[in-house]
Amino acid sequence: MTAIVAASPARPTLVRAVCVREWREALSNKLLVGMTLLPPVVILATGVLAVAAAAINPPSEHDVQALYAAAPAAAGLDPKEAVQGFIATYFLILFMLIPTVVPLTMAIYSVIGEKSARTLEPLLATPVGVGDLLFAKSLASTVPSVLVTWIAYAIYLGSVIALGSRAAQNAVTAPRWILAIVVMVPLLTLLSVNLGILISTRVNDVRVAQQIGGLVVVPVVALGIAQVTGRVVLDNGAFLQMSAFLIVVDVAVFWLAKVAFQRENILVRWR
Amino acid sequence: MKTVLRTDKLTKRFGELVAVDRIDLEVCEGEVFGFLGPNGAGKTTTLRLLCALIGPTSGSAEVAGFRLGRDDPKIRASVGILTEQPGLYERQSAWENLVFYATLYGLTTAEAGSQAERYLRLMGLWERRTEPVATFSRGMKQKMAIARAALHEPRLLFLDEPTTGLDPDAAKTVREFIVQLRGEGRTVFLCTHNLDEADRLCDRIAFFRRNVIRIADPDELRAELYGRATEIRLMPAPRPEDLARVRAVPGVREARFENGSIVVASADPLHTNPLLIRALVEGGAQIAFVTERKAHLEDVYLKIVEPIE
Ligand SMILES: Nc1ncnc2c1ncn2[C@@H]1O[C@H](COP(=O)(O)OP(=O)(O)OP(=O)(O)O)[C@@H](O)[C@H]1O
Ligand SMILES: [Mg+2]
Repeated sequence: MTAIVAASPARPTLVRAVCVREWREALSNKLLVGMTLLPPVVILATGVLAVAAAAINPPSEHDVQALYAAAPAAAGLDPKEAVQGFIATYFLILFMLIPTVVPLTMAIYSVIGEKSARTLEPLLATPVGVGDLLFAKSLASTVPSVLVTWIAYAIYLGSVIALGSRAAQNAVTAPRWILAIVVMVPLLTLLSVNLGILISTRVNDVRVAQQIGGLVVVPVVALGIAQVTGRVVLDNGAFLQMSAFLIVVDVAVFWLAKVAFQRENILVRWR
Repeated sequence: MKTVLRTDKLTKRFGELVAVDRIDLEVCEGEVFGFLGPNGAGKTTTLRLLCALIGPTSGSAEVAGFRLGRDDPKIRASVGILTEQPGLYERQSAWENLVFYATLYGLTTAEAGSQAERYLRLMGLWERRTEPVATFSRGMKQKMAIARAALHEPRLLFLDEPTTGLDPDAAKTVREFIVQLRGEGRTVFLCTHNLDEADRLCDRIAFFRRNVIRIADPDELRAELYGRATEIRLMPAPRPEDLARVRAVPGVREARFENGSIVVASADPLHTNPLLIRALVEGGAQIAFVTERKAHLEDVYLKIVEPIE
């Protein structure tokens, strides 16, 4: 028999092992796969359909007036262009729901799943650090969520370029949207993941955790509505500021999750 | 003998409740150390303390040569624990479960594979290695959990009620595994409610209820509490004068008839029994069998440990 010497594994090895295990587990859970993929598929499909419909049916005068009233920012544009641009922008805001909803579900399942299967105790008995474990778990939920959002955006982008008007194309390829997708999506995802983990430490029911976590969606939607109706103008500078703000919130929430994710707390207080 | 585990007034409180109260333990390398106590005695809590899963409220301990609270990751790397619940990833196969844990214990990919194979074969689960653990019976899951505890070849293993809920066949596999571990010079800290099992497997037994009440080897305990009894079966059945003769032998504490035998309690049977037999034979009795009568550990347990109120 070879001499086995047990020790803490290297961090990349640990992260890889945890991610592979979580992904295998997630993929074998049809309910989870369904719940994760449903929002992006619905948003993407309606988004593409809406742009396509606007391209085929020119808007009525009534619709255009309603648009001008609702979104002062669109005033003065060619009506057809304006409607398509409006729709494209509106759906991009809906896209920001994907990085809040998808990772939340994954993170909640990842923690509550381990809680109810009582797998945490043997896991914590290994020589790995809990901080590393938490990091690996967040990454396991973050990476697929970001990828899903990016892929959905890429498909949307392709569809708008193929079907939409100039204004719609300009809207979806505007630097601030590229910035949002590249920078803010991962930041929002990290936020939901750690919030999901945090909530899951206190709650034992996946659905309850999802409802509480669903509250993160509210500020995103509020911001989106305000933006579309022209109340808040998110220029590139404001986007950068928001990203900076998100980074601060991300760090804070990760820190909170880390505080909750202590070996003894998990074994003694999590019920 | 080398000590692998030593505690000094180790204490754990949960708020007001004192779950483990100033325990002093010393466990030697290579022994199977039984830990017996009623439900709620604090056995699982003690195990968690010793595996550096929770921190003590006060007191200290040294486990596998490392100081608790200072070298916790090293302690976790050097010990193995079978937790009260198997806690396996049910959607993953037996193989995937073990390889995952082997990786977390720092084994290389090659080592992880060979160790997973070794223990799956040892536990008789090799044929089912690709099936999800969810399809396993309770006994198979327990065997998986034991395999996981031993994967990284720890010198010291903590087993929390390893045979609870297992059928006799599975329980036997587990007991044989414990004997094998001991044969390899490893130390086993065994929490159990199964007194018969403790009797058969353990070198020493600690009776425990928040703190350690008694530690001794099983034979010693029985002898001390009940003396040692010898059963002498006569053919034909014993007569009153046989009993009188037995009672007259020096060192005999008590003698009585029981189902056609004479049962004799003496302080030092090794010395008394030959005299006893000679007296009977000289008196014309026909001796068919002479057997040692052991008290059941259960009697000893009930006498030492009162239930938690
Ligand atoms: N996380 C906790 N919070 C509060 N009290 C706890 C906690 N864990 C254990 N206890 C208490 O500590 C005492 C010892 O519990 P423990 O689980 O260690 O007993 P045990 O000897 O393993 O019992 P059993 O034979 O039933 O497994 C019990 O009174 C229990 O209620
Ligand atoms: Mg217990």
